[in-house]
Amino acid sequence: MESDSLAYMELAIHQAKLALESLEVPVGCVFIKDGKVIASGRNRTTETRNATRHAEMEAIDILMEKWQRDGLSKSEVAENFSKCILYVTCEPCIMCAAALSILGIKEVYYGCANEKFGGCGSILSLHSSYSETLISGEVPQRKGFKCTGGLMTSEAVSLFRTFYEQGNPNAPKPHRPLVQKEVE
Amino acid sequence: MNKKQPLQIIHIPPNPPVPPTLQPTVNVYASLIEPRHANTLIRWLNQIAPLQNLHHLKRIHKRNLEGGKPELSVILCLASESETQSNSMPPDVQEIVNSYNLTPFITKVSKYAALSKEEWQEQCKLWPTSYHPPTYNIDGITGFSEEDAKSVFSFMKSTVELAKSGDHLVVNAAIIVDPLVRQIIASACDEVCSWHMQSNKAKTEACYFKQLEAFTAHADANRIARDISLLSNGSSNNLQKCCTAVSCLNPWLWAQKLMHRSPSYWHPLRHAAIVAIEASAARDRHLFPGSGHNGNSYEIDCTHSSSSVSPAKRQRINLANVKNGGEHDAHTEGSNSIVRPYLCTGYDIYLAWEPCTMCAMALVHQRIRRIFYAFPNTEAGALGSVHRLQGEKSLNHHYAVFRVVLPEEEELK
Ligand SMILES: [Zn+2]
Ligand SMILES: [Zn+2]
Repeated sequence: MESDSLAYMELAIHQAKLALESLEVPVGCVFIKDGKVIASGRNRTTETRNATRHAEMEAIDILMEKWQRDGLSKSEVAENFSKCILYVTCEPCIMCAAALSILGIKEVYYGCANEKFGGCGSILSLHSSYSETLISGEVPQRKGFKCTGGLMTSEAVSLFRTFYEQGNPNAPKPHRPLVQKEVE
Repeated sequence: MNKKQPLQIIHIPPNPPVPPTLQPTVNVYASLIEPRHANTLIRWLNQIAPLQNLHHLKRIHKRNLEGGKPELSVILCLASESETQSNSMPPDVQEIVNSYNLTPFITKVSKYAALSKEEWQEQCKLWPTSYHPPTYNIDGITGFSEEDAKSVFSFMKSTVELAKSGDHLVVNAAIIVDPLVRQIIASACDEVCSWHMQSNKAKTEACYFKQLEAFTAHADANRIARDISLLSNGSSNNLQKCCTAVSCLNPWLWAQKLMHRSPSYWHPLRHAAIVAIEASAARDRHLFPGSGHNGNSYEIDCTHSSSSVSPAKRQRINLANVKNGGEHDAHTEGSNSIVRPYLCTGYDIYLAWEPCTMCAMALVHQRIRRIFYAFPNTEAGALGSVHRLQGEKSLNHHYAVFRVVLPEEEELK
């Protein structure tokens, strides 16, 4: 349903706004299974100083933790991911697209394209399955997923613009150890 | 018998080397010439038939015949690409041919300048060209000093040992190193099968302090060589048998029921490189609490006119920061003080296996400077095997990639 999609993307945008409020680059996402939101995530790269902590990775970790606390087996977890739909405000980067393929997610909707890093068509196309050429017995092979862009693009982009226009004016002036040279 | 294989560090270039037969070529007229005429001829030819847009070509091709006698050929001018059309030599050139009694022949030369050393070597099999290495200068591409090579082998050996250190499975292993002080920043193994969620935080917060400085810089070459050969003789068979558990080799394997049961937590994305990045970030937060870089790992660049508010497709989102140029310089400020780099700028990572696409991109995000791996990953590797992220021009950061060949590595296969 189109209207459902927009409602889910609203939630992803809301996550991106939370990121913006925390002075993070505004990207947000939600995972949907059986019509319900089961996890959400927002970019936390600045806070964690870990540039891999993208919104998708945050949400995936929440799911992994939850499902294992519930005692799910590997195959049950795999089956759950195969029923998940991801709504994310920006096209998943190459790393996240590879991760989504590893998990075997069902489908992805994104807002704006990611022309520098995008892994779902912009730079690499990790969502398109090439399993037909690679089937080799029982060894599981790379999995593709359905991927649709352009959902609420302008909202996603305007958050980015706000972030860069404000130029992080509220960034706290931190105490830096004396040994550290200011190099910027 | 064991052929002693030398230790090797091989640069994996951003572009796959293209064999001379596959590189675009153009036809030229060339001819053997008398060496004593070479200078005069080149002067003339450069005037009447300059090699426009082919400045990478050397005009003269010198071959040493048996007995050390040189044989020189020269490019006269461009030739037609169609075989049938033969009279395409300009009159001026024809005149030179006549007066020096030359016998022109048509030959193929490379059309474009080489993009890598490897490509250049291929080109020279056709006709010599000149090669200007890229302006970025990463130590090692043009060779490692003996001391640096020693250090590289030592860290790689530790990485491969780490990969086998688990209970009974070989996994991928990662060690992040600050090459200037040869200090381990973080090390990790795959945590795909078992991940101790409760204790994990504490573990990463504590472990990285026990810097394993001891075994790195000062080990002597003989000991390293001996250790490495022990390593490959002794346990290489295990390495081969169990490497289905190596995360990056088949990242899709995790859901397979065949995998051994794990009582602890597990996570299909906790590949060694990802875990090592996490540990290095934890170290950063611990060593430099509260000192946030105002750099972000994302960057957006709204290139179209600022007045436009339309949801243009031209919006460009560059998920990274460009302000990383200066950080590495901070390193040179005396190696005794701890200097905080931006993410992993300036650091190297050692991996037992060539990383998968997810891990390779994670290392782009975290700004790793050089990647060393021991074993290629033909099915899923992203540094030359399936993808080649070091050559993706659009990315905002590029690391240099090296494969470290350990002795008798063939036995692992
Ligand atoms: Zn991402
Ligand atoms: Zn990996």
